[in-house]
Amino acid sequence: MDASTVEKIVKEIENIAPSHEGAHVGKVVAVGDGVVAIDGLSKAVMSEIVVFEEGKGKKLKDSMEAQGELYGLILNLEEDGVRASILGETSRVSEGMTVKSTGRILSVPASEEMLGRVVNALGEPADGKGPFKKTTMMPVERQAAGVIDRKGVSVPLQTGIKAIDAMIPIGRGQRELIIGDRGTGKTTVAIDTILNQKNEPKDKRPICIYVAIGQKESKTARIAQQLREQGAMEYTIIVDAPASTPAALQYLAPFSGVAIGEYFMDQGKDVLIIYDDLSKQATAYRQLSLLLRRPPGREAYPGDIFYLHSRLLERACRLSEEKGGGSITALPIIETQEGDVTGYIPTNVISITDGQMFLIADLFNKGIRPAIDVGISVSRVGAAAQTKAMKGVAGGIKLELAQFRDLEAFMQFASDLDKETADRIESGRRMVEVLKQKNGAPIPVEKQVAILYAAGHKFFAEVPVNKVTAVEAQFTQFLDAQYAKTLAEIKKTGQLSDELKKTLNIAMNEFKLAHKELFASR
Amino acid sequence: MEQTYAQALWKMVEGGMSPVKAVHALRDLLKLRGREALLPRIGRAFARIAQREGKRTGITLSVAREKDERAAKSAVKTILAEIGVEPKEVNILVDDSLIGGWRLEGKETLVDASHKKELLELFNRSVRA
Repeated sequence: MDASTVEKIVKEIENIAPSHEGAHVGKVVAVGDGVVAIDGLSKAVMSEIVVFEEGKGKKLKDSMEAQGELYGLILNLEEDGVRASILGETSRVSEGMTVKSTGRILSVPASEEMLGRVVNALGEPADGKGPFKKTTMMPVERQAAGVIDRKGVSVPLQTGIKAIDAMIPIGRGQRELIIGDRGTGKTTVAIDTILNQKNEPKDKRPICIYVAIGQKESKTARIAQQLREQGAMEYTIIVDAPASTPAALQYLAPFSGVAIGEYFMDQGKDVLIIYDDLSKQATAYRQLSLLLRRPPGREAYPGDIFYLHSRLLERACRLSEEKGGGSITALPIIETQEGDVTGYIPTNVISITDGQMFLIADLFNKGIRPAIDVGISVSRVGAAAQTKAMKGVAGGIKLELAQFRDLEAFMQFASDLDKETADRIESGRRMVEVLKQKNGAPIPVEKQVAILYAAGHKFFAEVPVNKVTAVEAQFTQFLDAQYAKTLAEIKKTGQLSDELKKTLNIAMNEFKLAHKELFASR
Repeated sequence: MEQTYAQALWKMVEGGMSPVKAVHALRDLLKLRGREALLPRIGRAFARIAQREGKRTGITLSVAREKDERAAKSAVKTILAEIGVEPKEVNILVDDSLIGGWRLEGKETLVDASHKKELLELFNRSVRA
């Protein structure tokens, strides 16, 4: 034992004054599957935290070796007792165990120290880097901001993904659902969005919170590693409730994440929160509800499953200037089965959010990534937050792609095509190529504007389809090297003035002249 | 089902009905509904409720050593008065894991003035913080 510990102990002994404060207690009468029935605790309130007293009858030495306190969360108040979920290992609870009321509603710690850290659903460090020194406790359940405290969404949140920023723009304070089958790149879209925030100036950069619900530990570790390697962890917090944790913690994780987000929002900061994914949270909540003997409804989900998600997502908002002007942008993820978006949970979350991006397995398998189906993806408020420059260049893309998809289907039956149709198909093919993007490589908005401007002005018309991506990359490098000022101007003003358009035209011509071989023919 | 009947019986007696009258009323009702066979099970459920209620209303004072009993009893006098328990209703238990001091538990109340609790808190504050 080191000297400082001895000193601490001596000091503490001097301060000891036996307290005779009474605690309100109950007794465990039944335990199983992460849920306990407790007799007593008649003064307990809903969502109150209780502590299981593991030390009773144990020797001091054994109690000292215990793994920290074991908490429970009261979820049912019944006539002759309460039911609570165990926020830890069920095996540590036994029948007859004393349960102490704490009088505290579930709260999680929040502070700037959490940036760059991985925490569990209770806000405790889960990365072995030691405890947080100074934190503020934030209630896990909090009423969402009211109408008066809110402001319309008008500031863009750039994802760095061309297809999204151009066609399904997201604003700060918006809730945009990412939906699709497993393995279609939903998490990639979310992680790329976090990575892209590095391109934002530090004072405007949103704090990112990634909530992993029911995920494999290896996947979360890989994401943390990727964020760390690309320098995004410094503004990111990971709230991890892996598949191995009890259902109660998986159900709580998104609420803990948003509570931490609210700490930053209350300071006037912008927050981006990703819930990966809410289908697993719904499943955990269903498990918990069935164990709590709440009546099952459709697909055995409890009756308040809609409220579970609506009260969570309503907490994403943009506050008025009087309230500090902070915001929480939510990107919930929902996993569908066989592309069925008409399931119970998907339709619930679609109706709650301000838009959705559908990721389709077919497109993914064709190599079109991100595999966003622009036809059925929509952003209901984001367009108000799109910069003028992006609006100017992205206006016709959605229509062009929709027409291309129709013609592409028709093309399978028709052999002879008139020139106009053939041109439209060729142009559509190139646009699809332009919108393709590698994962982990978000593109700053000014470069997106330049690329889409070029695409809209037939810059890629003479490039073979299979070389569009390569030409685009070279053109971006060329702009970076030769026209950095123009890009900076687009970023600064958010507009594409006639002057800037002229400069971009000159840049396009210069590039074409310098790389004639790339523009040979179709 | 027997649990519900047992609970109803418990409430009737708690409400002031004489036990004999309550049992007769229950038997008549069961007879009327053709559920007389439930009676033994109801009896067992009633015993369980009584046991649970006994645990809930009973109060235990644990001390580390027998010789601490008198000191502990005088220390808990005020607390017992507050929760409305007569000193003679308190069960005394010797629990050497307490090391010293005492621990009063019952009627949904726990007052832990044991040395073990103090030492454990000290350990947690010093080492785990």
